[in-house]
Amino acid sequence: MAALRSTSRFVASAKPLFRPSIFARSYATVDPAAQDPSPSETPRNKTFHIYRWNPDQPTEKPKMQSYSLDLNKTGPMMLDALIRIKNEIDPTLTFRRSCREGICGSCAMNIDGVNTLACLCRIPTETSKESRIYPLPHTYVVKDLVPDLTQFYKQYKSIKPYLQRDTKTEDGLEFRQSPEDRKKLDGLYECILCACCSTSCPSYWWNSEEYLGPAILLQSYRWLADSRDEKTAERKHALDNSMSVYRCHTILNCSRTCPKGLNPARAIAEIKKLMAAH
Amino acid sequence: MASIARQSSLLRQTCLSAFRSPFAAKNGAGVSQVVAFHASSKKQILPPLPQSIQGTMNDPAPIPTPHPSEGSYHWTFERVISAGLVPLTIAPFAAGSLNPVMDAVLCSFIVLHSHIGFQAAIIDYFPGRRVPKTRTFCNWLLRGFTLTTAIGLYEFETNDVGVTEALKRVWKA
Amino acid sequence: MISQKVAQQSLRRLAVQQPYAMRWSLMNSASPAAVAMGRFMQTRQAATNSKTSDPTKILAQQRLNRPVSPHLSIYRPQITWIGSSLHRITGFALSGALYLYATAYLASPFLGLHLESASVAAAFAALPIAAKVLVKGFMALPFTYHCMNGVRHLVWDLGRGITNQQVIKSGWTVVGLSVLSALTLAFL
Repeated sequence: MAALRSTSRFVASAKPLFRPSIFARSYATVDPAAQDPSPSETPRNKTFHIYRWNPDQPTEKPKMQSYSLDLNKTGPMMLDALIRIKNEIDPTLTFRRSCREGICGSCAMNIDGVNTLACLCRIPTETSKESRIYPLPHTYVVKDLVPDLTQFYKQYKSIKPYLQRDTKTEDGLEFRQSPEDRKKLDGLYECILCACCSTSCPSYWWNSEEYLGPAILLQSYRWLADSRDEKTAERKHALDNSMSVYRCHTILNCSRTCPKGLNPARAIAEIKKLMAAH
Repeated sequence: MASIARQSSLLRQTCLSAFRSPFAAKNGAGVSQVVAFHASSKKQILPPLPQSIQGTMNDPAPIPTPHPSEGSYHWTFERVISAGLVPLTIAPFAAGSLNPVMDAVLCSFIVLHSHIGFQAAIIDYFPGRRVPKTRTFCNWLLRGFTLTTAIGLYEFETNDVGVTEALKRVWKA
Repeated sequence: MISQKVAQQSLRRLAVQQPYAMRWSLMNSASPAAVAMGRFMQTRQAATNSKTSDPTKILAQQRLNRPVSPHLSIYRPQITWIGSSLHRITGFALSGALYLYATAYLASPFLGLHLESASVAAAFAALPIAAKVLVKGFMALPFTYHCMNGVRHLVWDLGRGITNQQVIKSGWTVVGLSVLSALTLAFL
């Protein structure tokens, strides 16, 4: 596959295939020598305003720092831009990233006013518009774009996100599920807990101490809806107070922002229906 | 071994490029400007407290004590009232105005609906742990106001023409 | 035990007399193989810096300095949360007006106010037409918006219409319909 790609590139651009490469090149940077000469050679500079705060200078207030990148030399995604800034302009810029393909949830941040994963967010190509990058809204900032998600994880733990059963199956083998029951978990199990939805929820902004927030409630529903789980009543009972679920006022920012295209708002509506029925 | 080698080369690249990259040189260190951040004004109403985590990182967040009358029953009650308000709101437009009984039902539903709405706002904006006194004060203020409103509307219903009829008269005046 | 002590003493002597030799010998003896075979005894002198502060408190201390990232001011205005906040604000306006009026009506005999429907209607009738339309419009718009958006909320509570497309569409529909119906009511 790699050979195929390099061959085609060789044919297309007639550039020397083996170039002396002195330094390892990071994927965030598009090597100009490897790229086809674009029709417009003019640099497409775009400005990125990035939220900065350094814990080593705690008395200093958070500030916005601006960086300018040539989009011709940058990969297509926001994460590419961030990595390029870190590699080539400012090594002190701090952010989390890992998989670069939207499965780890590390690079969740607020880009141009919407929470999303930097690795799944294309850089808007209009260079006249400046991009603004913030950490996830209303979170405590560890450094720059790194939020502290301790409370989020503690809340996740509080809903007991695992299969709870007292009985064994008749044949003593694995807990089986009909295809229909398994289908109920579609749209729930895909959640990667990136906290984009929870931190987009104004209700969660004001009450993150007690309100569980969309992501955790989606997970909560994932276990309520699981036909193999036997502690549904206990789970519902634990949610039956004014704070855990009912701070949700169906604002629906959660579903709007989910980078995985899931629907936490629907899961919460289903929880409310379940709770009302019991 | 391979991973170590890769790391070191990356590191070297990062360090070198930070200082020698032609791009950085062109753009004058690339950082065009630094501006102070103005999003957090000094006049925040209830600024969040400094972060504190209860227990260790591995403890689950505490689960509030179950209270169905504040939870699921409350929610169901609220939805029933809201759903009941739909026909009660449409009816006066269709019929001109409501008869006294329906008018009283509408008024009581609106008072309950308003009370629950205000209550939700108090719970949202005055967290009990953060400002317990303000919360209690607001709750009692709301109860008092709801009571005077309910009595006032009762007086209005008994002595005057009824809410829907009164609104109609004012509207047509 | 004794052999260890002897070895230590000889090492010290060596270090004082021939520092380079000491380094060599250490490097040789501390090879991983030697450690694994138990030939190299790791010794540690008494702790040099005694920590006065509890190390578990460092993180707690750092947390106290952390700023809260910006939220309302930077989030992109979307029909979802703007519509929801309008729902709450209009609800406040309507309920607040009702609460104030009803309470004032209750207190009117003591305050000498005339808030009976007849006198309010008479006072309203005395206003010029433009003011009437304006006041009616300002009263009707929160009412129509809150009612229609309330129906939307009730539909959501049934678990219907919560996909993004439906939410955006129904949101703008409610905005349009409520403005239209408020205008109709204002000119009624």
